[in-house]
Amino acid sequence: MSSNHEDIKREQIAEAGNGRAHGEPFHRRPAFKILILVVLFSAIGIWAAGFFTDKIMPSILSTQMKSAHDTIILFTVLAAPVAALVYAIAAYSVYKWGHGHGDEPPPDGPPMRENSLATGLWLGVSAILVVVLLVWGMTALSSENQGQLRPVTVDVYGQQWLWTFKYPGTGVESNQLVVPAGRQIRFVVTSYDVTHGFWPNSLGVQIDANPGFKTYITADPNKTGPFAVRCSQLCGLYHAYMDATGKVVTAAQFSSWLVSQGASSTSANAYALGGN
Amino acid sequence: MATAVLLEDTNLRSKAGGLYRHQNLLTAIITGGVAMFVGWLIAHYTLQNNANWGSDMVVTVTMASWVVGFMAGIGAFNAVFRWMMGHDQDHHDELYAAGVSQGWRRYFKFCTDHKVVGTQYLILVMSLFAVGGTLAMIIRTQLMSPNNHLISPQTYNAVISIHGMIMIIATIIMVSGPWANFILPIQLGAKDMAFPRLNALSLWLVVAAVPPILISLFIGGVDSGWTTYAPLSVQSPPGQDAFAITIITFVVSVTVAGINTITTAMTMRAKGMTMGRLPIFVWGSMVAAGLGLYAMPAFLAAQSMLLTDRVVGTSFFAPAQGGAGWLYENIFWIMGHPEVYVILIPGVAAAMDVASTFSRKPLFGYKIAVGAFFGLGALSLMVWAHHMFTTGWAPNLAGPWMLTTELISIPTGLFFLVIIGTLWRGSIWTRLPMYWVYLFLWNFIIGGVTGIYLSDVPADQYFHGNMFVTAHFHYTLLGGGMIGATAALCYWFPKMTGKMLNERIGKLAFWVIAIFFQVTYFGMFWEGFQGMPRRIAAYAPQFHTANMIATMGAYGLFLGWVILLYAIVHSWMNGKVAPSNPWQAKSLEWHISSPPPLQNFLVDPIVTSDPYTFGEGNPAAPSKNPTPATVGSHDGGAH
Repeated sequence: MSSNHEDIKREQIAEAGNGRAHGEPFHRRPAFKILILVVLFSAIGIWAAGFFTDKIMPSILSTQMKSAHDTIILFTVLAAPVAALVYAIAAYSVYKWGHGHGDEPPPDGPPMRENSLATGLWLGVSAILVVVLLVWGMTALSSENQGQLRPVTVDVYGQQWLWTFKYPGTGVESNQLVVPAGRQIRFVVTSYDVTHGFWPNSLGVQIDANPGFKTYITADPNKTGPFAVRCSQLCGLYHAYMDATGKVVTAAQFSSWLVSQGASSTSANAYALGGN
Repeated sequence: MATAVLLEDTNLRSKAGGLYRHQNLLTAIITGGVAMFVGWLIAHYTLQNNANWGSDMVVTVTMASWVVGFMAGIGAFNAVFRWMMGHDQDHHDELYAAGVSQGWRRYFKFCTDHKVVGTQYLILVMSLFAVGGTLAMIIRTQLMSPNNHLISPQTYNAVISIHGMIMIIATIIMVSGPWANFILPIQLGAKDMAFPRLNALSLWLVVAAVPPILISLFIGGVDSGWTTYAPLSVQSPPGQDAFAITIITFVVSVTVAGINTITTAMTMRAKGMTMGRLPIFVWGSMVAAGLGLYAMPAFLAAQSMLLTDRVVGTSFFAPAQGGAGWLYENIFWIMGHPEVYVILIPGVAAAMDVASTFSRKPLFGYKIAVGAFFGLGALSLMVWAHHMFTTGWAPNLAGPWMLTTELISIPTGLFFLVIIGTLWRGSIWTRLPMYWVYLFLWNFIIGGVTGIYLSDVPADQYFHGNMFVTAHFHYTLLGGGMIGATAALCYWFPKMTGKMLNERIGKLAFWVIAIFFQVTYFGMFWEGFQGMPRRIAAYAPQFHTANMIATMGAYGLFLGWVILLYAIVHSWMNGKVAPSNPWQAKSLEWHISSPPPLQNFLVDPIVTSDPYTFGEGNPAAPSKNPTPATVGSHDGGAH
């Protein structure tokens, strides 16, 4: 090994040992440049999450959908800096410590096998992040599952390759899912044949429809508007076509819709009051 | 067990090997075909008219006969049969079985040399990727417009199912097949795997397992995805029976290979190769093999139960007769979640070794990496029900499942710490293997972060079962695992083939793959956010733009892999001859010739340190191998 190489190595070892001792001002040290990259990459990630949730996802028609949106944004805000740090160090390593692609390897780098500070920080931060994620998820989950006293029940039936929605007590049966805003909707879901996935997408909830027994999920629509009901579980030949339309309407519109579907006005009103 | 032999001892007696002399891939296919026909004949004429047992029984018997016939034809049962009859394999028989004096023909035979098996695995894996990739192109072409009639919905369902399963099979063996067989024993200083015959068995079982799943495409296909959820799969066309035979055979192979890998690493280490000196790749392979031993039998159970439901009318999963689809889903994911780490961990471990070599630095946090493998392995046994958040099964356990799933991000995060810690202030040598490590980092972070959304029940309520999930797991398994495997391929290619991989073509392939990968799965994330379900043959017009992006990206991605394949084939045939240690790396495989001779080491190596002594001012080779490199033996010493 040439003396030149040894010099480089010694220098690198010294640098690796302690950047501060090297006496460089902070803004010239790798950490500073990496910090800038981290901020930049994080900003891109967070912007992307905002863009996708705002512009690409279907509109928010329920508290559950809102909670899905918020979760995506929050988790991105938490995860982006970690991802950005990895990217920043990777990018910086090529830019600053890259030695080209010659036939002979560059001189060895500094033999750093461990760094308890870095490891401790890394572990500590990931543990804290996991706790935050979990607390957030549990809180959101329990608020979603809060049962209200008088939910509006809709019986959902999946079959190859059709959705049927029944509004018990009114005799109404429809292939369109219409639900009132401002009320909790309790979906009682089952299937006539194989497993389907009941997914009214703007309501932000999803539950499988299984043959032979019932599953339950509640949604709290709070805004009127149309949405799509899709099957999210591969169910055979025409799975792709197992769509239905849905809409969230006002309470008054809901009652009149039930009547228009053949319900008597008394049963429609009684049903819309809920508790069934 | 491989008996110790001297390399010069290659003048075999004239009939060494016995029946092996006449057995190869061709005879195996013929025997398998005949067995298949006989099986079909018997099943058809004796069982077809039995009202209870219909075509499902016929398909099952036919496919099972194929597997048994093929394995007999390749010679898998020869030695067992001879031992049963009271004869032993003598020394010359063993040498013949190890491929001595057969030249290129040994690559088409039941060969016990671990390097031949590793090479066979590599070819097999690349062929499987070619099939799976072609099916992916069919899927993407179908999805190019909202209501495309390129293929019928039935064919489409079959194609996505087989694409999924072929890719899962290929990714499970993509590192543990070629590299844990070829490289791992050499890294330990061993002459072969602990069970050479089981090694060959594991390879040929996969070969035998592939035709049934491909045949399934032509007998109605599988219409329930690679997950084959019951009860749909109980009613599927007979393709499902062939699919089950494939899985059962494949699970036996993975189990045999896993036992072999662990036993080898535990018992075949050279003098001085303590557990703390193992290259990290060995640890990764061991943990993955152990996880496979836990996970894969559940797949065997699920598919066997499904098969009996279909063939002989049991009702494990048929709700109308008291069975439960949720039972299937549970057993399936008890396999399915550890299985993704079976795929991932070896690739990550290989990427770590590459990162160390090309940063010219010791691996940062060796013990942390080992701990992360074990932590990940342990946690992965307790997360399966996060695949079932939206099924309605055990809603009260959503919290615990969320906890274990999110905890997994801690060991996964440590992988990144280990790699960026290794890069930090290294001397980055930007050769082709290192490129893939950077791509691995890029992709796997995206795969990991998107996984966090899915671990959270409220967000999963939106994303479950939609294209977001598809994009996510392609980022982890293809973008993480398979890119790690590609790093391994480019890293160990000179050792395996004795040729240098053409880096100019390789780097072109890298950029095409790296860029179009992002385009493809960006399109799929977009589809997912928009709310497009997975596995649909036609879609609402609103998803068109995103699908177009994904399809164009997929074509580019496919092209990238084709370029890489060209680089591999071209270099393998006409590449520059590789020196024994082109990367100046320190693990044992780099201390013997490229490719290594039969039995690898002329003299047993003595190991005095781990293979990460970069920059530690130790002029002596860390792993002292008194063998002068036996250079220039392209034929693996088998001439």
